Amino acid sequence: MIETHELTKRYGSTTAVDHMSFSVQPGRVTGFLGPNGAGKSTTMRMIVGLDRPTDGKVTVNGRRYCEHRAPLHEVGALLDAKAVHTGRTARNHLRAMAATHGIATKRVDEVIEMTGLVTVADKRVGGFSLGMGQRLGIASALLGDPQTLILDEPVNGLDPEGVLWVRNLTKYLASQGRTVFLSSHLMSEMALTADHLIVVGRGRVLADAPVADVIAGAQGSKVRVRSPRADDLEELLRRSGAGVTATESGLLEVTGSTAAQIGDAAAAARLPLHELTTVGSSLEDAYLQLTADEVEYHSTQVGIPTVTGAEPAIQGASR
Amino acid sequence: MSAITATPTFTRPEPSSTGGQTWFARSVRAEWIKFWTVRSTVWTLVATVVVMVGISVLAAWGSTIEAVDPGSSMNTAQLLSAGYQVAQLAVAVLGVLTITGEYSTGMIRSTLAAVPRRVKVLAAKALVLSAVVLAVSVVSMALSFLATLPWQDRLGATLDLTDPETLRMTVGLPLYLMAIALFAFVFGALLRHSAAALTAVIALLLVVENVLIIIPLRAVELISPFLPSTAGRRVLFDTEMLQMTDAVEGGIGLAPWLGYGVLMVWVVTLGAVAAVLLHRRDA
Repeated sequence: MIETHELTKRYGSTTAVDHMSFSVQPGRVTGFLGPNGAGKSTTMRMIVGLDRPTDGKVTVNGRRYCEHRAPLHEVGALLDAKAVHTGRTARNHLRAMAATHGIATKRVDEVIEMTGLVTVADKRVGGFSLGMGQRLGIASALLGDPQTLILDEPVNGLDPEGVLWVRNLTKYLASQGRTVFLSSHLMSEMALTADHLIVVGRGRVLADAPVADVIAGAQGSKVRVRSPRADDLEELLRRSGAGVTATESGLLEVTGSTAAQIGDAAAAARLPLHELTTVGSSLEDAYLQLTADEVEYHSTQVGIPTVTGAEPAIQGASR
Repeated sequence: MSAITATPTFTRPEPSSTGGQTWFARSVRAEWIKFWTVRSTVWTLVATVVVMVGISVLAAWGSTIEAVDPGSSMNTAQLLSAGYQVAQLAVAVLGVLTITGEYSTGMIRSTLAAVPRRVKVLAAKALVLSAVVLAVSVVSMALSFLATLPWQDRLGATLDLTDPETLRMTVGLPLYLMAIALFAFVFGALLRHSAAALTAVIALLLVVENVLIIIPLRAVELISPFLPSTAGRRVLFDTEMLQMTDAVEGGIGLAPWLGYGVLMVWVVTLGAVAAVLLHRRDA
């Protein structure tokens, strides 16, 4: 259980975290979602006492992190995949971490096996790939068998197998009644992994709700229609009051009308249809709507109409 | 990377009261493991031993060639500490890297997350560093003694530990190297950057102090004797050498142990500042 109250962090005139209040409950995976620079990492660093809040408070299992006598048994954190001395082997790193809490060497071997690091455990961390670094970070987070896990971008750099492993692991840990707090800027990953979402932008909490609610809160669904006579169909649909966007030749995206209505209208006008698909509102849509004004770095559009500027990112993900 | 357990099993780790170890002892144990599992430790310690023994041998050999006063007897303690100027650089590098290596790699975040009472980390590291440098210095001295045995008779060199001055010089060498290692360590803790701390410490030990000694300005003459190495190394000097340096330095002749005390005041003061900053700054 993690609780923040009016948590604030300023660096000079920049406010990285702006009066954030939320709580992360045990027994479910809570996603911490937001664009780069939204304050996710800073918040996580404050949770484990690495950064000092400018204002406000954060507690883990009812106490400030540094007040815990054995913090590794309370909270396991993967903050930075490479918060490890590059000249040390993975096993020695874990041995040293374990020694701070008197954790037995047997447990070190366990987490090495659990995270699939057996073959590289005696190699120096400097030569690790990003993915192996992530596994080592997760191994040290699990070392103390903590009740609460904080994972900052854990799937970063992992191969598909690793991504699946992290997804199963976090769900499994949550099912054991642990508190799992997982940050990501990948909406698709969150849609698959998290039960609950805290969406942030520019240091503020934008949404704090179950994943389903966040998606439902997004505005309407749309229908994708493919037709060799798209121009005629577009005119017909417009006349009936629907919103139509022609994304490419022969393909329309229709809002404000159901698939059934469109199909009937096309049949009545004897227009052939090659595709008629309802595209549900996705987490991406919800996320982009929530964070539209909150991203710190807007990319300039590259040959894509403004409104649908984020379309390529939505394609393929979460469907 | 193939065998990945999809459904990991958890066993509760050993209860936290293993063997009645105190939490500080655990921190020391962790720092001990960290200390010996990076290569820079071995390199710098090997360099320390090689330099100390090598320069002692060269000094003994050279002294037999350059005719010494036939009647005068030489103090072996002087032979043993002949390499201190170079050896102090090796232990200074070790001292700096003990702490800055964690900052340059990001390890410090893992360290401080595991031990949130940060000053404990600093104390544990300092303890491990001191103990190892002391031990290695003593071993180096023993090896130097053995290595210079062939020349000792011809030089009339003796090591009489019942003589207070000889005892001071003998005990002083490991203590001096330990203090320099700690001085470099707290400098590293303050600057948190390997290159910056190494440059600062080595420039101070090798250049600044030695240059200031020869500047005949009254203001400089007042400050110079209190600089860390200038003050501390007086425990290594015999009476003759102390008089010679006083003649060059121009006046304030700190008693040898007082000089060492001044060095330790530097260490403790800078260490206290480093501890406060470590406590306050974001990691």
